[in-house]
Amino acid sequence: MEHAITPLEPLLPAGEAPQDLKSAHPSGGSHHNEPNPSRKSREGNLKYCLVILNQPLDKCFRRLWHKALLRACADGGANRLYDATEGERESFLPEFISGDFDSIRPEVSEYYAIKGCELISTPDQDHTDFTKCLEVLQKKIAEEDLQVDVIVTLGGLAGRFDQIMASVSTLFQATRITPLPVTIIQEESLIYLLQPGKHKLCVDTGLEGEWCGLIPVGQPCKRVTTTGLKWNLKTASRKSPRLLKRQKLPALS
Amino acid sequence: MEHAITPLEPLLPAGEAPQDLKSAHPSGGSHHNEPNPSRKSREGNLKYCLVILNQPLDKCFRRLWHKALLRACADGGANRLYDATEGERESFLPEFISGDFDSIRPEVSEYYAIKGCELISTPDQDHTDFTKCLEVLQKKIAEEDLQVDVIVTLGGLAGRFDQIMASVSTLFQATRITPLPVTIIQEESLIYLLQPGKHKLCVDTGLEGEWCGLIPVGQPCKRVTTTGLKWNLTNHMLSFGTLVSTSNTYDGSGVVTVETDHPLLWTMAIKT
Repeated sequence: MEHAITPLEPLLPAGEAPQDLKSAHPSGGSHHNEPNPSRKSREGNLKYCLVILNQPLDKCFRRLWHKALLRACADGGANRLYDATEGERESFLPEFISGDFDSIRPEVSEYYAIKGCELISTPDQDHTDFTKCLEVLQKKIAEEDLQVDVIVTLGGLAGRFDQIMASVSTLFQATRITPLPVTIIQEESLIYLLQPGKHKLCVDTGLEGEWCGLIPVGQPCKRVTTTGLKWNLKTASRKSPRLLKRQKLPALS
Repeated sequence: MEHAITPLEPLLPAGEAPQDLKSAHPSGGSHHNEPNPSRKSREGNLKYCLVILNQPLDKCFRRLWHKALLRACADGGANRLYDATEGERESFLPEFISGDFDSIRPEVSEYYAIKGCELISTPDQDHTDFTKCLEVLQKKIAEEDLQVDVIVTLGGLAGRFDQIMASVSTLFQATRITPLPVTIIQEESLIYLLQPGKHKLCVDTGLEGEWCGLIPVGQPCKRVTTTGLKWNLTNHMLSFGTLVSTSNTYDGSGVVTVETDHPLLWTMAIKT
């Protein structure tokens, strides 16, 4: 079975077609395994949830915020949201904030609590706030029977090196938490974990930057075959395990 | 065979003892496998070479620069050095700059060339500028018969995600390039690849920050045993998808030991 995804689709404005494609088929449902995934990239009508981690917020968060079905902050991510939305905070209220709350500032948690955001304590020290936030999110998606295509995460790819690695680790754990693909975006980078099998990545939104890559984090991937890259792989016996692909985002507007 | 290292020792000022230790034994040679590695950390007389990558330079680079035996820039790292040393560039001349030179600015390469720095073109596109810089550096260390304890790299842990991973990848390749340990430092993070075997990490320089971690990048480590951490492991498996040690910390003993059956990435915080 082939999995298809257009990683940068959430960054497309709603209803807008990518620069170089004509919209020939209106979007029907939100099944990301459709045989023609580029149909979805034409409309930018992907259904996604947004998770904000404790890193400086990229400008793209505003565009991502308004089209999201659910928005959540993991602990100190709420500080970032609070600080970035001064003067317009009421337009950026997350559905919930979860974590062990050792990073969120008191005035921030107070503000969002008063405004009706759910504050969910996840004190388990064996997992990161990000991992636990995904668990809460998946629970809500199931409870509300939401049709969601992807979970988009902002932050996690800069700062403390151990925390960057923890973000990558969460992508591995995500398969046990949610059936949905999870992407992580920060600054000019995106990462997405490809499970064993075949994958189709549509990179024709017009938002793709120059570089990309496949990173065998975790264990060697003995057989990797690609198409569409400048330097493709063909059943190369490389030391690589599960793969992370990274794409560049252009200067975000 | 046990490997011993004091990862933050290069950041100590020359001749200065760490805050909480008394200097009992003067430093003799520069063998980092000495049975009492903490002797070296007391003096901060580690012999190291410095590599500068294409990332914003941390303030610690000045302290690192002057005590280094050799200093090199990998391509755009020269831009960073040039910009960070305005007004005092002549005090910060690298021995060489290597790379495919697709990042270094023309005025920067001109300046360093005029000042006598060697510019070494390494055009091979199958390897990063960092990897190739290590090859050139090791060659010079061997040619000049220098006694070096460690290669310290600045940069490589921020920016483009693929380039962060390429830095990690270079640490794996480094074992084929040089017998010397290679560390990478940027902002508050240090990383160092532990080869299979036993390791002793002295974390008593006084410069250690709160957090540390063990990251099984590349393949699962089926048996990892540690001492000196707040959350130790005993013959435990570390692997992405099972357990990755992040946000760990120290037990206060000043020494961490790690035994691993496969390469395991050590990472730690530097006090800023």
